[in-house]
Amino acid sequence: MVDSNLQKHVRCPSCQTVLTSTGSPGEVVIVTCPSCGTRGKVTFPLQPVFEYKPVIQTHQLTKRFGSFTAVDNLSFTVRQGEIYGLIGPNGSGKTTIIKMLCRLLRPSSGNATILGQPFSNKPVMTEIGYMPQETALYVDNTVHENLMLFGRIYCMSKEQLIPREQEMLRFVNLEEWRDTLVSTLSGGMKHRVSLACALLHEPRLLFLDEPTVGVDPELRATFWGYFERITKQGVTVLITTHYLDEADRCSRVGLLRQGHLIAEGSPQQLKAETGTTSLEQAFCKLAGRTMV
Amino acid sequence: MKLQRTLAFTQRALAQFRHDRRTLAFILLMPLLMILIFGYTFGGDVQNVTVNLVNNDEGIPPTGLDTAPFPMGLHLGELVIDTFDNDTLILYTLEEPELAKQEVDKGKVWAAIIFPENFTETFRSYMLFTDLSARPIVEVYLDGSNPTIAGAVLKTVQQAIQTVLSDLAIQLNQTQVDIPIQLSASYAYGGGDIRFIDYFAPGVICFAIMMVTIMITIILFVNERRNGTLQRLLVSPASEADIVIGYALAFSVIGIFQSIVVLLAAILLFGITIVGNVLLALLVVLLLAFGHQGLGILLSAGARNELQAIQFIPLILFPSILLAGLFWPIESIPSYLQPLSYLIPLRYGIDAERSIMLRGWGIGEIWIDIVILIVFSLLTLGGSILLLKRRK
Repeated sequence: MVDSNLQKHVRCPSCQTVLTSTGSPGEVVIVTCPSCGTRGKVTFPLQPVFEYKPVIQTHQLTKRFGSFTAVDNLSFTVRQGEIYGLIGPNGSGKTTIIKMLCRLLRPSSGNATILGQPFSNKPVMTEIGYMPQETALYVDNTVHENLMLFGRIYCMSKEQLIPREQEMLRFVNLEEWRDTLVSTLSGGMKHRVSLACALLHEPRLLFLDEPTVGVDPELRATFWGYFERITKQGVTVLITTHYLDEADRCSRVGLLRQGHLIAEGSPQQLKAETGTTSLEQAFCKLAGRTMV
Repeated sequence: MKLQRTLAFTQRALAQFRHDRRTLAFILLMPLLMILIFGYTFGGDVQNVTVNLVNNDEGIPPTGLDTAPFPMGLHLGELVIDTFDNDTLILYTLEEPELAKQEVDKGKVWAAIIFPENFTETFRSYMLFTDLSARPIVEVYLDGSNPTIAGAVLKTVQQAIQTVLSDLAIQLNQTQVDIPIQLSASYAYGGGDIRFIDYFAPGVICFAIMMVTIMITIILFVNERRNGTLQRLLVSPASEADIVIGYALAFSVIGIFQSIVVLLAAILLFGITIVGNVLLALLVVLLLAFGHQGLGILLSAGARNELQAIQFIPLILFPSILLAGLFWPIESIPSYLQPLSYLIPLRYGIDAERSIMLRGWGIGEIWIDIVILIVFSLLTLGGSILLLKRRK
């Protein structure tokens, strides 16, 4: 393909590895996955929707609190359209990583690029959605007032904001709670409002710090369905979770232990590498292997 | 900074107070309650003050050898005593000056008023310019432990003397009588017609806005940190200035409403007249709100939870109450404490507000206070913005 002028990153449907393929617009190319051997067709669109370009790139990111190292020399890349899961026990550094990437914490050393911009670039913030682990809502305001605040911070116009609010409330199944004070909602409901606030302005990059804690299984499934849908539109999600069944739905996961990235890859890859059938077993095996 | 964002914060905060009726009631009614309690306990005229009276004045009998310019004779002491305001003073007549004073020492009465034997005679000599070396003296021996009462006693005596003298001036066809009678104890306190409530009302307005702003800001920002809302805001395109100024606007609205409530109460219930410009008075309130909001944000950084936050409040409150001239003039606090009052921003607010409301002063006279309050606001609000920008 000498005169091919397009490059496309695709995910292998079975092992989720990202492959690079080249072709010209409108062309259909047969590719073979190097890690699992699956063959598949890659269709080059006349107009490319988006490319799997790196959205988050960290380089030896380190965070120390006094003598305690929370994140140690972390280098990883998240590409556009991925759901990247940070998995690890309590205190393994998941939240610290997200906070550093959100500029809430200053790294002790190392650096990161977000949406192609250097770390310190504030305008990137309009493209980011962040759902902290805490509820992070104004509990003495109504659901509607919270959504309005976060919408207006992103300079959404009323015409944009009202239908979008409706859509989000429907999505988190809280339409009839719009004018209720957040303080009177249950824990799970607050979590759903919090997620709606993070998604409201349709960010290109989402940082979700344990978004599904206290959320019932049915709604968790809805959430994940939504995450998968928006990633297909080019949104990137960095998520932390304790639930390994959720980790299974990530494009790729990074296993963290005491601030170290001990393994990284698609869930299928990790299971294949460790010769296990579940991510839980894979994680235990990987954690044991790196223990000295 | 973008106006839409700033206003989003303002609206959010105001909506919170709209939902929280009790806090809203606190904001609007606390200063009202303060002015009512203090107004009625200190505010009315002092009444029924017990006073010992010693009238040794021998007067000039009409049968005397030389009665000029009072051919009918004169008992000046008696005249003054008859003119005393009976509502204010309850008089106990004694003969022995030392005994009368001792009872003041013992706290049995508030004051002893003593007219000497030669009171009328000295007055006559003075009026005839035969002897200018001595002025007639009324001795007032006061229990100074309550300045309000002491002031009321002195005022009563002064008023009586003035009334008697102007009557005499008419009798003698003199258009002008300078006051030859001297009070041996004189307090320049209260200065004429100003009642305590007049003095107190401008202070209450300032104090209320300070207290409400600082209390609410500390708690709000401790909660912002603890709930994670602040973190969420910081991971948004909103700047730290948006947040701080958004809140400042919310507190301005609160401050204006609060001041209107207090001013209305002061005017309607206590008949206070505001001599100066009301808008200038509101400006002072706003500046106090801005400055103390900044201070609240700065202090909130030093508190991990609401309990710790509340501990700051008496630390700020008591020095302000005692040293900023809220109840008492700064001159009446011990001289070694007076320099401390310069460090309390409320002092300048109260000073300015009092000058505007009581003296009718304009920006030309109080600009120093205004400048100090502006500097205070800029420092604390600027400091808050820097504080929010700080990252661990």
